[in-house]
Amino acid sequence: MAVAPLLEPSLLRRLEALALQVRRAVSGQMGGERRSRRRGQSVEFADFRNYTPGDDFRLIDWNAYARLDRFMLRLFVAEEELPLSVFVDLSGSMDWGKPNKAETARQLAGAIAYVALAALDRVRITVFADGPTSGGTPYRGRRAAAELFRRLQSFPAGGVTNYQKLVWPIGRQRPGMSVLISDGLGEPGVDVALSALQRARQEGAVLQLLAPQELTPEWSGDARLRDAETGLEREFTATPLTQDAYRRALQQRTDDIERAAHRRGLRFARMSTAEPIDEMVQLTLRRIGLLA
Amino acid sequence: MTLLAPAAALLGLTLPAIVALYFLKIRRPTRIVPALHLWPNQIRDRQANVPWQRLRPSWLLFLQLLAAAVLVAAAVQPVLPAGAALARHSIVLIDTSASMQATDVTPSRLAEAKRQVNGLIDQLGPQDRMTIITVGPTPRIVAAVSADRDGLHRSLNEVSASNGPADLSASLSLAAGLVRPGDDARAYLFSDGIVQPLRASFASGLPFPVDYHRLGVSGENVGLTSLTVRSSAQTRAAYLHVQNFGQQPRSVSLEWRADSRLLDVRPLTLAAGQSQDLVLPVPNDATSVNAHLSGGDVFALDDSATAVAKTPRAFRVLLVTPGNVFLEQALRLRSDLQVDVVAPAGYRPSAAYAMTVFDRFLPATIPDGPLLVIDPPAGSTLAGGTALGIGRVRAADAGDPLLANVDLQDVHVGRSQDLRVSTFGRPLITSLQTPLVLVRDEPFRQALFGFDLHESDLPLRIAFPILVQNLSEWMLPPSVPSHSFHPDEAVTIVPESGATSVTVIRPDGSHRALAGAAIATFGDTDPVGLYSVEQTVAGSTQRSWFSVNLFSDPISQLKPLDRLTLPPTHSTAVQTTHQGQLEIWPWIALAALGVIAAEWLAFHRGF
Repeated sequence: MAVAPLLEPSLLRRLEALALQVRRAVSGQMGGERRSRRRGQSVEFADFRNYTPGDDFRLIDWNAYARLDRFMLRLFVAEEELPLSVFVDLSGSMDWGKPNKAETARQLAGAIAYVALAALDRVRITVFADGPTSGGTPYRGRRAAAELFRRLQSFPAGGVTNYQKLVWPIGRQRPGMSVLISDGLGEPGVDVALSALQRARQEGAVLQLLAPQELTPEWSGDARLRDAETGLEREFTATPLTQDAYRRALQQRTDDIERAAHRRGLRFARMSTAEPIDEMVQLTLRRIGLLA
Repeated sequence: MTLLAPAAALLGLTLPAIVALYFLKIRRPTRIVPALHLWPNQIRDRQANVPWQRLRPSWLLFLQLLAAAVLVAAAVQPVLPAGAALARHSIVLIDTSASMQATDVTPSRLAEAKRQVNGLIDQLGPQDRMTIITVGPTPRIVAAVSADRDGLHRSLNEVSASNGPADLSASLSLAAGLVRPGDDARAYLFSDGIVQPLRASFASGLPFPVDYHRLGVSGENVGLTSLTVRSSAQTRAAYLHVQNFGQQPRSVSLEWRADSRLLDVRPLTLAAGQSQDLVLPVPNDATSVNAHLSGGDVFALDDSATAVAKTPRAFRVLLVTPGNVFLEQALRLRSDLQVDVVAPAGYRPSAAYAMTVFDRFLPATIPDGPLLVIDPPAGSTLAGGTALGIGRVRAADAGDPLLANVDLQDVHVGRSQDLRVSTFGRPLITSLQTPLVLVRDEPFRQALFGFDLHESDLPLRIAFPILVQNLSEWMLPPSVPSHSFHPDEAVTIVPESGATSVTVIRPDGSHRALAGAAIATFGDTDPVGLYSVEQTVAGSTQRSWFSVNLFSDPISQLKPLDRLTLPPTHSTAVQTTHQGQLEIWPWIALAALGVIAAEWLAFHRGF
C-alpha cells in the first residue's frame, strides 16, 4: 500500500478494529456511523410522531395505522459522520530527539486519522508551527488515507511554535472532536489553543509528545545551549542539581497542560517517542478513553 | 610560631594560578535543546582553555583558593611553642612498677604517664633526641637516643606495667651510662614517687638534671599485706593481715577460698589507717588458700593473696649428742625437719638421714653429706688446738647471708678450741683469739663449731635458733620453697634427686621448663598467684608449690609523693634547653581535607 512508509499495514489492520470514543452525540454534514442528535435514516428505532402533511410517506407505520386508525411516522436515530480535526505540531522543537518527535507525531496523527477514516468520519489535518500550514480539504473514507498520509509526510518540521495562531482555525470547526499533538513546550503556553477548543465545543484530547532525551537528559558538564526553534543560545553547566531543576520545570509544564486540558473537558496523555506507535494507540489512547 | 619548612611557602603561587585559570574562558560544545526556557540559568567555569573572560564570583573559586591556602599553610609545617623545656637529649624515665597500675587517674597511672610522654615526643624538634627507660624491678631501655618520633611512639605504647618495685637507682645508672660528657641532656621522671630508696652511690650526682612529673592523686586503698599458713599438731590455720591505707573508712568483703573452693565471705569495715588480723581455717586437704578483697578500690594487685597450704616434704636429721636441749629445740623449730636424737654410743652410720649433727662427738669416719659438728672431741679429725679463753664474739663478715638477722652483740663464749690453723673452711663467727665457727661448701655444705654450746650464752640468745635455722636451710634447702615471694623475686629451685625434668607452671597457665638436674634460679615471677613446680622423678610426677604476692606496705600505701629527693646534677655541659615544639600541620592538613571535601561536594551539587 502507498501508506506503508508512515504506518505498517499490520498496524492499519489493527486500527480498523478501533473506534473514536465520543462522549456526546455529534451532528455532521453527511451520514456516517455516529449517532446524531437528529432523527434520520438508520436501523435503530427512536420514536413515533403524528404524520403531518409534507412528511415522507414512506416513513408511515402502516401497522400502527391499522391499530390506531391514524397515520404515525416511525422515527429512527440518524447516524452521521464525526468531524475530527487533528492539529499536529511540526515546529522546530518537534524536529528533535531519537526517535524524532515530529516523525512520531506524524505517525500518531495518521493512526488516529485512519481510525476515523475507517469509520467514515470526516478528518481534517492541520499542521502548525508559527501558524497553521495546512487546513485543506477534509478527508473521508478509508481510500483517502493514502493521500492524508502523503500530505502529513510532505510538511517539513521547523519554525517557532505559536499556539495563538491556532485560535482562528479552531474557531471555524463545527462541534466535533479535536486532537492536539504537540510537545507543549512553546511560549506562551498551549492554554490559548485549549480555550479555543472549548469555545468551539470540541471534545478530544491533548497528546504531549516528548523524546526520552528530554525526559531524562543524559549529558552533563559545560555546554552552549541553543534553542531548537528560536536559535537563542546560552552558556550552561549541567550538574545533578541543574538536571533536577530542569526535570522539575518540565514536570511543571506537563502538569499545567494536563490541568488546563481537564478543566476544558479534554483528555490528556504524555507520551514518550520511545514508546512504539502501536502501544501509544492501543494502550495509551484507549487508557485515556480517546479510542475504544 | 615558627616554620619548619618556610621554602614551602613558594607553593602559595598556586593561589594566583587558580585565579588565573578562572580568567580563562571555557570552550563549550553546542547542544540543541527543544526548549531553552526550561533549563535553569546555571553557569560555572570548571576548566579554561580559551582566553579571556571576566572573573565571576564563584563558591568553587573561593573553596579552591581556601583549600590551596590551607595546604600551603600545612606544607610550611608551622610549630607552636609547647610547655615543656626540652634539652637536645631527653631521657624519659617511665615508672612501670606495681603502683603505676593504680586507677586513681583514668585509665591508670601508667596510661596517663604514657599519654604525657607521647605529648613530650610530639614536642621534639628535628635536632632533638630521646631515650626512654623503664623504671621497674629491672630497668629496660625501650628506645635509645632516637629522633624517630613514630618509633618512639611505638616503643612507648608497648610498655606495660610490672608487679614489682621501682628500682630508680638502676634506671638512673643506665641513663647516666647513655650520656656522654658534655651532652646537653635532661631526664624526665614520670612516676608516682613510690620507688626504692636511692643508693648511696648517687651522692656525687648525675650528669643531667631530673624533672619529676608526679602521677596519681589518691592513696585510698585497702590491701592484703600478709598471708601465712601455720600448722600445729591438731589444726592448720591461716593468718591474714588486712590494712586500710587510705584516709577514709572503707567497707570491703573478704572472700576466703581453698583450692578455688569458696569457704567463707566476711564483711570488713576498716577505719582510716586501721589494720586487722584474721585467723582463717585451712582444710587439711587444701593445697593452697586464697584471700580476695572485693570492694572496688583503685589498686587491684594487693586485693588478692595466695599461700601454699600443703606441708613440704620433711628431711630426716640425725642428732648425735650426749644431751643438748638447746640444739634439739632449735632444730625442731623447722617444720620440715624430722629430728632423731641418739646418744654417741648408739650412733650407726645411715644413708637415711639428709643431715647429721654431731654434738661433742665425732665418729672415726665422717659421713658424706651436710654436717654440723659442735665441739669435736680432742683427737678427732676435725678437732682444733688447745682451748683458748674467749670473750665477745663477732661476725667474720657482717653481710654473710648465713648471719642474716643473727645479732651477736651480747653473745659471749667462755672457751673454744683454737681453729686458727684449721683447714676446715672459711670463718663465719670469730673472736679476737680464734675463729669460732667455720663453714665450707665443698665437698658438702658443712659447719664446725669450735666451742661447747654449754660454755657460751649463745643458746640463751635469740640469735641461736636463727643461726641454726640459717645453717640448716643452707645445708638442706627445700626443693621448692613454699613461702611467699615478691613479684620478680628470684626463686631457687633444687631439683629432687633423679629428677629428669622440672617445669614451672605460672598463675596464668604458661609453662617454663628448667634444666633437669641443676639447681635453677627462677626469676620469671612477675605475675602474682600460685606457681606450681612439676618434677619428673623415675617416671612419676611430683608437685610442689610456691606463691608470689605483692605484700609491700610502701606500694600498697599508694599515695603519690609530691616531692622526690633526687640526686644533684654535676654536669658541666651548658644546659641549652629550649621550648618544646608542637607541630600543628597535621591539624591544618585535616582542615584542608575538610575544605577539599566541601569543594568536591559543592562541585558535585552544582554550586
